[in-house]
Amino acid sequence: MPSTQTPPIAGGAIDPPSLRPPIADARIERVDAARLRARLEELHAQGWTMLLDLGAADYPLRAPRFDVVYHLLKLSPAARTVAEVGTPERLRLLCGVEAGDARLPTTTDLWPSANWAEREVFDLFGIVFDGHPDLRRIQMPHTWEGHPLRKDYPLRGPARERSPRPAFALKSNVQAGVPPSGDTLAALQEQRKKS
Amino acid sequence: MSSLSTQPLTPEIVSREGNSMVLSMGPQHPSTHGVLQLVLEIEGENVVNVDPEIGYLHTGIEKTAENLFWSQAQTVIERMDYLAPESNSLCYVLAAEKLLGITDRIPSRAQVIRVLFAELTRIASHCVWLGTHCIDLGALSVFFYAFDLRENILDLQEEAGGARMHPNYLRIGGCNGDLPEGFLAKLDALIEKFPGRMADLRGLLQANPIFQDRTIGIANLSASDAVAWNVTGPSLRATGVAYDVRRAFPYCGYESYEFDVPTRTDGDAYARFLVRLEEMEQAHRILQQVRKRLDAPGPVMIDDPKVAAPPKETIALSMEALIHHFKIVSEGFRVPPGDVYQSVESPRGELGFYLVSDGGNRPYRVRTRPPSLYNLQAIKAIARGNLIADLVVTIGSLDPVFGEVDR
Repeated sequence: MPSTQTPPIAGGAIDPPSLRPPIADARIERVDAARLRARLEELHAQGWTMLLDLGAADYPLRAPRFDVVYHLLKLSPAARTVAEVGTPERLRLLCGVEAGDARLPTTTDLWPSANWAEREVFDLFGIVFDGHPDLRRIQMPHTWEGHPLRKDYPLRGPARERSPRPAFALKSNVQAGVPPSGDTLAALQEQRKKS
Repeated sequence: MSSLSTQPLTPEIVSREGNSMVLSMGPQHPSTHGVLQLVLEIEGENVVNVDPEIGYLHTGIEKTAENLFWSQAQTVIERMDYLAPESNSLCYVLAAEKLLGITDRIPSRAQVIRVLFAELTRIASHCVWLGTHCIDLGALSVFFYAFDLRENILDLQEEAGGARMHPNYLRIGGCNGDLPEGFLAKLDALIEKFPGRMADLRGLLQANPIFQDRTIGIANLSASDAVAWNVTGPSLRATGVAYDVRRAFPYCGYESYEFDVPTRTDGDAYARFLVRLEEMEQAHRILQQVRKRLDAPGPVMIDDPKVAAPPKETIALSMEALIHHFKIVSEGFRVPPGDVYQSVESPRGELGFYLVSDGGNRPYRVRTRPPSLYNLQAIKAIARGNLIADLVVTIGSLDPVFGEVDR
């Protein structure tokens, strides 16, 4: 079903993680951005050896707008058998980030594996990690503008054209009644001027 | 929103202080399979530093999935790790079922079929890894032995789901129909053929002095480094840590199967090779147990018209069934709001999904924890101080799949 715009947020739940049914998948904790660094240092010292994953989610109707999600695992490098590993503890740390100045301290010095994960969150959500040794885009091209996994970033449409296309290529959009915008509009006007 | 990215790293050859220089390897290098670039800082033949450049295969699967129905999203998710499609869909399906609260109501035969495909796909994926890894090392014949075995598994996938590579056979709530007639006979033939083929593969490589020269003591990774760099799967178990999601956080009834978690302690490329071969044999062991359980007939889809479309036969007879069918096809089903993390043991390691539902008919957020991404990142720790020639072995032994790294 091709659509030119991101569908509206269907369910209308503003803060889904707060409504979750009782699922025993991990211990869940929520921290403020100001306390995040201290809490992570504490957890690292307590033997949470693995930063399983670091991701983010965007809730535009909520303040703070973003959730950065840390999944931690307590796995001992000395566990040599299945019995010794057992069922390691899992912890999910959610940290709200304000939209205006989306910044968090880095964790690359505690868990080196956070390096690429933080780059990805920066690339796709535009959240800056202070103190990261090499904060560059990782998935998108280095010259890309915008952060694709934000909910206000459209899935398709003229505003999403990577490079301005000639007018005929936009015929389907014109038929769909989608007005060109942004760079594409400027490029179209320039093209008309020339011809 | 201004662009926040810094200057791109140019892979031109630049001389630095001392004797080191910067060299770009890939994305056209054959061992990087067209989608990975390594920016190397080298001194003579020695690698001083390595900076992998990924994203060549980025297709926005997470964004696409967030704009599809819950059931449609599965089709793109299956294409992330394209060598082990069923691992992806299994993990996604399990996570969605947890949010729906129907985990306990999945028919047991469906769970057995899921284990069957999870293990088949593990063998198939390891076959591709073994074949291509050996081609990178210059041993061509292994490829044919491994791919022949994989072909039998693809045949089984085609039987069940209709497509060789991405059958999309598992569904939220069970499986898409029971196994077709003649499937079990083919499965029996595969189970019978497997030990001989494994003996061939072992015979070709395990005691082969050239293979040993290229892999023993190469690409070393210690257990503490592996844990710090978030390495999972066979690469972690080759360092001695016996962490396997199937045992640590069992799903689909894995706790009721007998199998070992093979480990090695050397942490080099040869240890990873041995762990993967043993994993294939353990998968074969699980398949034998699955085969016995498949003799018991039963339903393979949950009996809940809000999630699973009613059987096709009932549509002509029941108005209710017709309405449910129409609703599920035209607007999908709704999933209660909440978030969940679910992981499975994919052939590459811990594959996880962090799903958020806002109560709508589309997943609100699909965050993947791709094992390949983290395993590949560890190359920064592994490759330092090694020879350039051994980089090919290093990449091969980590077994990254770029559909999953870049998504």
